[in-house]
Amino acid sequence: MTRYPELSTIQAAIKARDGSAGLLGHFQFAVLKHFTLSISPEEVQYIMPPQQPQQGTLLPPYRVLDLSGPEAVFCGKLLADYGADVVRVEPPTGDASRSRPPFAGDAPGPDRSLYFLFYNTNKRSVTLDLQTPRGRELFRRLAAKADVVLESFPPGYMDSLDIGYDALQKINPGIVMASVTPFGQTGPWRDYRSTDLIALAASGFMQITGEPDGPPMRQGNEQSHFPGAQFAAASILAALYYRDFADGEGQYIDVSLQEALITYYTDAHPALAWMQMGENVTRVGATSTLVIPLGAYPSADGWISAGIITPREWDTLAEWIYEVTGNEEVLNEAYRGGNQDRAPFNDIITALVIDFTTRYTSEYLFHEGQRRNLVFIPVNTVSDLLTDPQLESSNFWFPLDHPETGTLQYPLGVFDSEEVSPSTNPAPRLGQDNDAVYGNELGLTAPELAELRRNGVI
Amino acid sequence: MSNKALAGLRIIELGPYVALPLTGRILASLGAEVIKVETNKVLDEMAFIPAWSRGAGQPDFQRLKKRVSIDVRTPDGLEVFRELVKVSDVFMTNFRRNILDRWGIDFPELRRLRPDIILMWQTGLGGIGPYYTYKSYGILVQHMGGVSLMTGEEGEPPSAINTSYSDYHTGVFQPSAIIGALMRRRMTGQPATMESSIFKSGAVTAGPPILDYQANGRLPQRIANRDAANAPHGVYPCQGQDRWCAIAVQNQAQWDGFRRAMGNPPWSDEPEFATAEGRLSNQPRLDALIGEWTAQLTADAVMERMQREGVPAAIVSQGDDLYHSPHLAARDFYRPTPYYAAQRGTPAWEWEKGDSVAWTTPARLSETPMEFGHYSNIGEDNPYVFQEILGMSESEIESLSESGALY
Repeated sequence: MTRYPELSTIQAAIKARDGSAGLLGHFQFAVLKHFTLSISPEEVQYIMPPQQPQQGTLLPPYRVLDLSGPEAVFCGKLLADYGADVVRVEPPTGDASRSRPPFAGDAPGPDRSLYFLFYNTNKRSVTLDLQTPRGRELFRRLAAKADVVLESFPPGYMDSLDIGYDALQKINPGIVMASVTPFGQTGPWRDYRSTDLIALAASGFMQITGEPDGPPMRQGNEQSHFPGAQFAAASILAALYYRDFADGEGQYIDVSLQEALITYYTDAHPALAWMQMGENVTRVGATSTLVIPLGAYPSADGWISAGIITPREWDTLAEWIYEVTGNEEVLNEAYRGGNQDRAPFNDIITALVIDFTTRYTSEYLFHEGQRRNLVFIPVNTVSDLLTDPQLESSNFWFPLDHPETGTLQYPLGVFDSEEVSPSTNPAPRLGQDNDAVYGNELGLTAPELAELRRNGVI
Repeated sequence: MSNKALAGLRIIELGPYVALPLTGRILASLGAEVIKVETNKVLDEMAFIPAWSRGAGQPDFQRLKKRVSIDVRTPDGLEVFRELVKVSDVFMTNFRRNILDRWGIDFPELRRLRPDIILMWQTGLGGIGPYYTYKSYGILVQHMGGVSLMTGEEGEPPSAINTSYSDYHTGVFQPSAIIGALMRRRMTGQPATMESSIFKSGAVTAGPPILDYQANGRLPQRIANRDAANAPHGVYPCQGQDRWCAIAVQNQAQWDGFRRAMGNPPWSDEPEFATAEGRLSNQPRLDALIGEWTAQLTADAVMERMQREGVPAAIVSQGDDLYHSPHLAARDFYRPTPYYAAQRGTPAWEWEKGDSVAWTTPARLSETPMEFGHYSNIGEDNPYVFQEILGMSESEIESLSESGALY
C-alpha cells in the first residue's frame, strides 16, 4: 500500500518552495501516489492538493488542452461547461473554425464566428505554433501540468510531432489523452478522410434518414459533432476518476466516430437485421410502418407530430377527430385496435388525420392533445426553443455577454440541479489567455513572451 | 488495483426504454456495478424489439448489469428497494413524478436513507415545470429539438430518422454528468440531484443556429446533402438496389483529386466547373454527370477511388455492410451474444435463448478497457443481490418471490 503524504505536508512543501499555495497543476494524484513523505522540489511542482469544484460547477478545474476539430470540439465544450479549465490551443492565425460562417451581423472576424462561439463556451484560448520546435517544447511544458489532452487530428499526426501519447505520458504519467477520429486509430479505414456528410454515410445513419422514395439524407445541424464527443467526455471523466480516486494511472482513449454514430441508432439495429433476417433497415420519412398513425402532419401554422400506440389512444383520437370534422369515416370499426390493425388503411387514416390537424395551430394540438392523454409533439424550429415555457422554467438558457456579439442566450442547462450549475463564460477571443497561461502559470518572463510573439510561436 | 475505471461504485437503474438503459450500459462497461431493478409483471416494451426477433436487441442496452426482479409497487418490494438504496452510490430513474408518487418513491426520502446518494431523474419533456405530466415518445421528441426542420429539402415535410434518435443524446449525456457528480462528491462530500430530459438533451445540441437566430434573425435553411461553400457534395447512386456513395469535396485540391479519381473526364475541364462558385451554381448538371459515372461502379469502388486521391467519401452503409465490415471486424466492434426471446405472461427464466450480436464500445480505454461482459436475463442476479449484497436469507427470498414482491 502506497503511503500518501498528508495534505498539509504537501501544502507546506509547495509554500516553502514558491511562497504561495501554487498555481500549477490540478489533480496529479497519479504523481502523488509515487510520493513518500520526503518530497523533492522537482516533484512538488507537479502536485496540488485537490481543489474543490468552483462554486456550483460539477467538475473541479481539471486542465484540459483542447486541440480538437469538429469530431471532438463538443467534448471540450461539455467539460468546460461542467467546470473544467479547458484551454483551446490554437495556431497563431486562429483555429480554422473561427472562419466558419455564420458570423455575428454577417461580418467575418476571428471572434465573430457563431459556430466558434457555440462550440467553445467556457474555454480559454492560447496560441501556439506546433509546427515549430519551440512551439512543441512549450506544448510539452503545458502537457506536463495538464490533466487531459483532447485531439482529433488524423491518426499518427501527434506522434509525428513527438507530442503523441507515448511522448506525453513519459513527461506526465497521469495524463489522460483522448483522440476522437472518424474511424478510430486502428483498422483498414483509419486513414480515410471524413466530413460530417461522410461520417453520417459511413455509419449508416443516412441509410435510415429521409423519405422512402428519395435518396439517403444527411441529418441537419452536423450531428456528427455529438456522438464521438459524448463518448469521449464520459470516458475521460471515468479515466480521471480512476486516476484520482482508484489509485490508477493516466491512459489513452481511442474513440471512433463511426462506431459512436452506430450506437446512436441501436434500436434500429441494422447489423442484427442483416444477421437474422438478411434484410437492410431503411428510410421511412417521418412516419412509421409499424405504428399507424405516427408522423409529422401539417397544422394551421406549421407542423405537428403525433403517435398513436395503444388501442385506447386511437379511440380517443378518433372521437376527437369526429367531434371536430363530423366525418363518420374515422369511427369505422375496422380502424380500431392495435397498430397492426390499421396498417392496411394507412393512406386513408393519414388523410383523416391531416384534415383534422390543419384546422388547429401546433401549440393548441400539443397542449389539448396532452390534456386528452394523447402524444402530440410540436415540430420546433430554433426560435420556438427560445420561447418554450418548459425550457424557461428549468435553468436551461444562460445569457453570455461577448464583446463582439453582446448578450446572447446559450443552451447550457443539459441537466437542472439545485446543487450544481454550469460555468457561464463566453468563448474566448483568439489568444486572450497567452499571458495568464505562459506567463503566470508556466513562468515565462515578459521578454521571453515578446520573443515568442516576434517569432510567431504564439 | 482493479482495471475497472468505476470499480466499487453501485448504481441502481429503474426504468425502461432507450435512454436510461443506455446510460446504465455505459456506466456498467466502465466498471460500475449497475443493478437493474425490474419486474416480470410489467415488461419493458423494448424487450419486444426488434419485432422480428423479440429481445435480440436487448443485449446492447442491458448487458453487464446485475438484473433483479423487484416489484416496487408492492410494500415488501419497496422495502427491499429501500435497502438497496442504502448501499448504493447512484439512483437513476426515468419515471414521471405522478408514477413515482404512486409507488412511494420520494427523492427526499431516498436522501434520508442514503444521505450522499447521487440522483439522476430523466423524463421525456421535463420532470418539473409546465410539461411535467406530459406523455412523450422518444421517436417524436426528436422533432422538439429543432433538428427535423434542418433535415431534408426546403418545402418538404420534416424529415426524421427511423430510430428513437433523441433518446441517444440523453443516454450518452447522463454518464458524464453522473461520473462528474461522483467526483464532486469525493471532493466535497456533497451529493447532487440532477434532472434531465430528452427534450433538453436535444435542445442543447441545437447548435450554432440558436445563435444565428438571435444575432442575425435568421432561421436555419434546409439544404439536404449540399454544402454552402463547395461542390460536389452529396450522395450518388451506384450499382445495385438503393446503393449510394457520399462524396464531399471541400477545396480545390480535393476537386483535382476528384477529377483524377474519375479518370479526368472531358466535361470536368469545362470552365463552369473550374471554381467552387461555378460548381455551386451548376450543381444539378454536375450531380447528374457524376451520377452517370458512379452508376457504373459499386459504392465500395467509388469510395476507394476517391479516398485514394484524398477525397472524403464513404458508402452509405447498410446493415449488411456493417455486419461484414472488415474495418469494424478489425476493431472487434460487433461480438456474438446470447439473448432471450421475450414473451408476455411467462417469467423470463422460461424464455428461449438465441444468438445475437451486440456492439462492444466506440471508446477504447488503454488501462481500463470498457468491458463487453456477461448478458443476464431478468432476475438472473437475484441470488447475488439479495443474498450477497443485502444478506437476505434463502427462505425470506423464497417467500417474497412467491408473494410477488420479488417476481
